[in-house]
Amino acid sequence: MPVSPSEAKQALREVSETERVSATTYGYRTASPHLIVWGVIWMVGYGSTYLKPVWSIVWPVLTVIGLAISLWLGWKERRSAHPVDWRYRATLLVALLFTIAIFVILSPKTPAQIGAFIPMLVALFYCLAGIWTHGVRMLMTGIVVAVLTVTGYFWFSAVFPLWMAVVGGGALILGGVWLRNP
Amino acid sequence: MGQLDAIIHQPLRLKIMAALNALPAHVQIEFMILKPLVGATDGNLGAHIITLENAGYVEVEKDFVGKKPRTRVRLTKAGRRAFAKYIAFLRDILDLAESDDAKA
Repeated sequence: MPVSPSEAKQALREVSETERVSATTYGYRTASPHLIVWGVIWMVGYGSTYLKPVWSIVWPVLTVIGLAISLWLGWKERRSAHPVDWRYRATLLVALLFTIAIFVILSPKTPAQIGAFIPMLVALFYCLAGIWTHGVRMLMTGIVVAVLTVTGYFWFSAVFPLWMAVVGGGALILGGVWLRNP
Repeated sequence: MGQLDAIIHQPLRLKIMAALNALPAHVQIEFMILKPLVGATDGNLGAHIITLENAGYVEVEKDFVGKKPRTRVRLTKAGRRAFAKYIAFLRDILDLAESDDAKA
């Protein structure tokens, strides 16, 4: 059964495209539970802050819980995955150091600024992940979270924590569910 | 140049192998997720999976989630090796054609 060069070229193109879509789908499914977990955390954290500003002290506890769940999900995934490219770890470390530097140098002054700044960082990372992995859904989720955060900060400032609890947290949860669907 | 692997050469089976090859070694993919990835229907995907399973290229695991049946597929080591050989075979064809063009 001879294979012509044009058939070989076409087959390689299809293989490349299928591998790309498959890898993106796998990435979506591994990212999905993280988005849902953080969506719930935003709902609880921002919701508590809206009901009683003093309850914003729940944030450190929620952050620790969220990080612990995310680490557990990552550990569970890595048991069956390829070794993680060192550049991913390096990128996360650089992003973390950059975030700390921003807080030290340009620290947000008001609770609303902090409440908007962190979601904007999260949105930035989703956008970057979407761009680098050809993940249109991830990119869209990042853009939606960014637009909703800016909208709430400027136009719904009186109810900003409620806005972020319902709309921001809701967007993350819906984004997570969307990533999970084939 | 290597030999053509007639099992992988079929277009839909090639796509199935490519989709599975893009996943980490021990990761299984659900039948319902694989189906849209390779543009197959229930019937033809099932038939081609059986062919690949009989060749030892994929492993199939069936279980239930609640009352719903679930079928998961993953590439075996032999499948990954055969796929790599097949891709090398296709690249050899292109390389040969290019060197022939250069000589002409």
